[in-house]
Amino acid sequence: MQKIKDLFKKTWFLGCLVIIFATSVLWNIPIEKRKYGLSESSLVTDYTGLLPERVVRVVKAADRQELQKIAKQANESGQRISVAGLQHSQGGHTYYKDGVVLDMRTYNRILEINELQKTVRVEAGATWEDVQDAILPYGLALKVTQSQSIFTIGGSLSVNGHGRDIRFGPMAGTVKEMTLLTPTGEIKRLTSRGDSEEWMKYVLGGYGLFGVILDVTLELTDNDIYTIHTEKLKTEEYESYFNNLMKDDNAAMHYARVSVAPSSFLDEMYVIDYNHTGKQDRSTSLKGEQGVRLSKLALDLGRHGGGMEDLFWRAQKKYIASIDKKEITRNNAMRSESTFMEFTKPGRVEVLQEYFVPVHSYEEYIKDLKKLLSADDKNDDFKVHNITVRYAAKDNLTSLNYAKEDMLGLVVLIQHGLKEKEIAEATAIIRDWTDLTLKYDGTYYLPYYRYQTKEQFKASYPDWEKFRTEKLKRDSNEVFQNLFYDHYIK
Amino acid sequence: MSYKQYIPLVVTVGQVAIFPYYIIWLKGVSLTFSLFAWFFAAFSFSAAWGYQMYQSKKDKNNIHISFIYIGMGIVYIITGFIKTTFENLPYIVLLLQIILGVLQGYFRAWHSGQKAYYLQVVHHYLIVGFMMIGLSFVKVISPAVFIAVFGFLLCGCGFLSLVKKTS
Ligand SMILES: Cc1cc2nc3c(=O)[nH]c(=O)nc-3n(C[C@H](O)[C@H](O)[C@H](O)COP(=O)(O)OP(=O)(O)OC[C@H]3O[C@@H](n4cnc5c(N)ncnc54)[C@H](O)[C@@H]3O)c2cc1C
Repeated sequence: MQKIKDLFKKTWFLGCLVIIFATSVLWNIPIEKRKYGLSESSLVTDYTGLLPERVVRVVKAADRQELQKIAKQANESGQRISVAGLQHSQGGHTYYKDGVVLDMRTYNRILEINELQKTVRVEAGATWEDVQDAILPYGLALKVTQSQSIFTIGGSLSVNGHGRDIRFGPMAGTVKEMTLLTPTGEIKRLTSRGDSEEWMKYVLGGYGLFGVILDVTLELTDNDIYTIHTEKLKTEEYESYFNNLMKDDNAAMHYARVSVAPSSFLDEMYVIDYNHTGKQDRSTSLKGEQGVRLSKLALDLGRHGGGMEDLFWRAQKKYIASIDKKEITRNNAMRSESTFMEFTKPGRVEVLQEYFVPVHSYEEYIKDLKKLLSADDKNDDFKVHNITVRYAAKDNLTSLNYAKEDMLGLVVLIQHGLKEKEIAEATAIIRDWTDLTLKYDGTYYLPYYRYQTKEQFKASYPDWEKFRTEKLKRDSNEVFQNLFYDHYIK
Repeated sequence: MSYKQYIPLVVTVGQVAIFPYYIIWLKGVSLTFSLFAWFFAAFSFSAAWGYQMYQSKKDKNNIHISFIYIGMGIVYIITGFIKTTFENLPYIVLLLQIILGVLQGYFRAWHSGQKAYYLQVVHHYLIVGFMMIGLSFVKVISPAVFIAVFGFLLCGCGFLSLVKKTS
């Protein structure tokens, strides 16, 4: 004891303590530092923070009776309600000026797992990660999710998300049953087979405008073990590669990445496939975020553009080649890292956009796209950092469907400045890009920031008028509102 | 009382009065409670280090307390004017916390050995009490403004004691 006391009297010892502590803090400073989210005292924003707005109240969803009461009261008083999951949508989809926001994150219990029927019943505020945690011991996995598991079930179904799976169709198709709180405050139990009133058609991919999804029963599949196959391709080889892949029953999941580095801009791609091994898994734990600091450092280098972006692309290729032939479980293939994408620079923003084009148009589309974008955006304000390619199968289940036929989706990570001129320039480029996509019978994804014009929206979603009619029929007092609805549909 | 007695009073009163603004600023930088707490831990360890540095000094009279004031002043001025990306801020803040901690510990050790220490402590508590009531009526422009002003004041004190000493 005396020795310890003496030690604390030594200047060198205290100096070492400071240095060791400071080093460990330095290493542990979290990467996620952005402020966004729900707040009653200040402005509410979503993932990009582009549309700050004041709301009157945020209600943490706890029980359905309370939610029902809020909906009924709002229906009588003219109060507006919005529904928020984890707010990764980027165009004010989760809040409305002076409205009430239902924060669904606290409504997140796993209600039932049926191992035999391979289903899970879960409350809508749970994340995919919560579900994965619960079903893993049963050897089960989700059929369709985004590439990350950080989103809520309700938020994902309300945008009808899609990811790496190429076999199970749209996410909406994996919903077997659903409990819905309707705009008039009714609680309805819906089944995919007996949905004669077509509630599901509008609620799924309905952006929280047709009521609150309370819980859903989702179809599951086995937690298969896959081998990863990676390959470098020329862009013009991709279409036939993809068509062959679809014919190969062994292939379960797939995505690709297109180069945005100046020296191989839109010319080079690499593909990542997940092929069946015939084995299944019950024991491998869910992987956490790995190598976040390193990936972030690499992405930060790429963000500089020019030679650095070439370097970043080379590093990605190396990494992708290194995972070739490795094994991974289905659950782990559905939970990629996301933290490394964090970007917080005052005066600038990083947004996502996604364009869908029919599979057969991919090659010509990319050729045309090359003329629209600058290969080296080092000195431009508008920068494209990443393009991932996904498959989105034809969707007949939702009203605002982005895949009228089998589509390839280009998920684009964009950075631009926040000065009026810079936003205007970004908007112009994104609108031109949308026009090009429309020329190829394509669409763009609606959960992201609304750079597009109302005309482009109408052209992309020809069913929008029916969507509005149904909205007004089922929610005649327009209780459920958000900034997305205000902008495009109202 | 001479300037020698006033300056430590200004420094101690100022530090306590500016503390709430500093906390608000620090809270904005840290975002998570853990990081906020770690920043404080870094400050405390460094203060212990600074305290011990003074205590282990052989010649306690020959110290450059003016430079300690100026050093603290510079840290507050940097805090007030810092304009860097949010990404880098926590790393810079950690460094500032360490410097501030060491200087603060050193100052405290020196101060407690001064003849007027007892009186200054009593006065400082009273003045801070009244000042805080007054400050509660001031609408915060931005915590950074107050912090920077205090930084300049500390630098002023440092230079004054330096000039007086040499003259
Ligand atoms: C980094 C990143 C990666 C992404 N990757 C993909 C991807 O791979 N594939 C893809 O398809 N999308 C992707 N997206 C988009 C993402 O899937 C959507 O933004 C999704 O809505 C996010 O879920 P959330 O919980 O954050 O929903 P929120 O943003 O909170 O809500 C989205 C919509 O759902 C509504 N809603 C939420 N909960 C309910 C409920 N319980 N009942 C009714 N309506 C509700 C909201 O009102 C809102 O309109 C990505 C987004 C980000 C930021």
